[in-house]
Amino acid sequence: MISLIRTEFTKAAVRMRSLIIAVLLVGLPTLIVVAINARGDRPSRRGGEGDGLFRLASQSGLLVPAAVLSVTSGFLLIIIAGTLAGDSVASDSSWGNLRYVLMRPVPRGRLLAAKAFVAATLIWAATILVAVAGLVAGIAMFGVHAATVPGIGGIGGLGGGFTLTTGDLLVRVVAGTAYVAFGFTALLALGTLFSTLTDTAASAIGATIGVYIVSEILDSISQLGVARYGFPTHYLGAWEAMFTQNTYSRDMIAGVVVQLCYLVVFGTAALYWFKRKDIRS
Amino acid sequence: MTDPVVEVEGLWKTFGSVSAVEDLSFSIQRGQVYGLLGPNGAGKTTTLRVLMGLERPTRGSTRLFGTTVTPSSPELFRVGALVEQAAFVPHLSGMRNLALWWEAAGQHMRDADLDGALAIAGLGDAVHRKVKTYSQGMKQRLGFARLLLSRPELLVLDEPTNGLDPGEIREIRELIGRLTSHGATVLLSSHHLSEVEQVCSHALVMNHGRLITSGTVSELVGTTRSIYVEVDDRQRALAVLSGLPEVAHVQTQGDGLVMELVGGQRSDVAAAIVSAGLQLETIMPTQRLEDAFLDLLAAGDAARPQLHGTSPANSIGAN
Repeated sequence: MISLIRTEFTKAAVRMRSLIIAVLLVGLPTLIVVAINARGDRPSRRGGEGDGLFRLASQSGLLVPAAVLSVTSGFLLIIIAGTLAGDSVASDSSWGNLRYVLMRPVPRGRLLAAKAFVAATLIWAATILVAVAGLVAGIAMFGVHAATVPGIGGIGGLGGGFTLTTGDLLVRVVAGTAYVAFGFTALLALGTLFSTLTDTAASAIGATIGVYIVSEILDSISQLGVARYGFPTHYLGAWEAMFTQNTYSRDMIAGVVVQLCYLVVFGTAALYWFKRKDIRS
Repeated sequence: MTDPVVEVEGLWKTFGSVSAVEDLSFSIQRGQVYGLLGPNGAGKTTTLRVLMGLERPTRGSTRLFGTTVTPSSPELFRVGALVEQAAFVPHLSGMRNLALWWEAAGQHMRDADLDGALAIAGLGDAVHRKVKTYSQGMKQRLGFARLLLSRPELLVLDEPTNGLDPGEIREIRELIGRLTSHGATVLLSSHHLSEVEQVCSHALVMNHGRLITSGTVSELVGTTRSIYVEVDDRQRALAVLSGLPEVAHVQTQGDGLVMELVGGQRSDVAAAIVSAGLQLETIMPTQRLEDAFLDLLAAGDAARPQLHGTSPANSIGAN
């Protein structure tokens, strides 16, 4: 299995696309730090917790990764994760190489597991890379300090304000990064399923990202009530409460449960389909 | 006789309401070089895909080395296959592709016959270039290198010269010739009849998913009774041959004469020409495999309405 993972990792990672993604993930935090520095702590018209993280970020370089994750997890990381997941099987199909791997022979279940594992690893690597890039750029620009979140009328809501030590910040950055990366588990499962359904990588990637965009749109319609709790994107931002409300939100646990449910349901569907499908590409 | 290397028994493969393969049966013995002939859409590639575990049969079974084929069957380790065109990861080098393919099954590259495979493929230093820079012929040759890494006992080649220019076709045919001369068992699907005629000892003819006939290539070609001769005096030969009871419909064609044999052999015609004091320069069947193939397809098409819903044509000469 390790050799199979190694071969799949080489196919997925050793390509120009990976370099472009890496440059993007390292470059974007730098631009964000420059923007935060230029803007200071002025509130934007839009508001929201993500915006609050931007306002706080100039206090400490340790808050910059949170701000960077906040802005990238809603779109850029979804695009990257969708690309990696949707591309996992379909790229081999579109090259015509899948049939040769299966004729080697490599068992189908094992191949799918290796491909999904590699996609998950790269998604985690992308998330960690953008967070680490934010951390480095943030520390370089703002240094390492504790941060104070203002109380009534401020970001901390109606309660009193609070202070996060550098240790608190570091732990929460790690937890937030892990939560964001794990938050793409549903996307990974959906993307892998779509990837087994089509021989065209672009279709699988488009379908995966499309589902997330639709989920985000529907999630913004409050009239849908509790149905929104089952959307894969509903709890994606739950980790931000660690920085803005000094609490490990219950929503984070709910978010983990939702992601696991998607993994089980769509991962099983992907495995079922891939083991039975006729390979015609 | 040992177990057949390949056995296909009562194979059906349908896609919705469309039958790609209908009740196909045949077997291939060790060392035989079998051509799988048929026009586009005859069911050749589908048959090979089922044989290689890429598609599941709707009915019937396929066996390799006596074991029923399922997806990822261990018997596939003993097979080298080129199904449709050779395909690789385009952004990696040829060598990297070979290594990844080999190691995907958990084997070390040192166990592969890399030197032998590369020597046969003849890619030289190009094997270190990215595959996306390769011509189609180079990809096919790299495909041969890949399938030879495991020193396979059976080669399954599906249209290996498709999309190649004449020079590349010649190279690939010579490559197949070298492999068969080393005693490999080969199943070669093609609609290039000259390819099958040059390379194969046996042939199966498929059309509309059914087996029309099978046998040695010489048997298939030999079903024709038309021969062509060239002699030093064509007019006198015309008179001589017209009088032979074994010969009908003698007529001139080009520099020679064409005739239909009725019961006799080519040797009878040759003997008559020599006995008449004529100098025999050429005597050969006018029909090549191509003609035999087209005749068989036409006969199969004519018979198809009667065969529909009854026992298929694979009873004709299969095995």
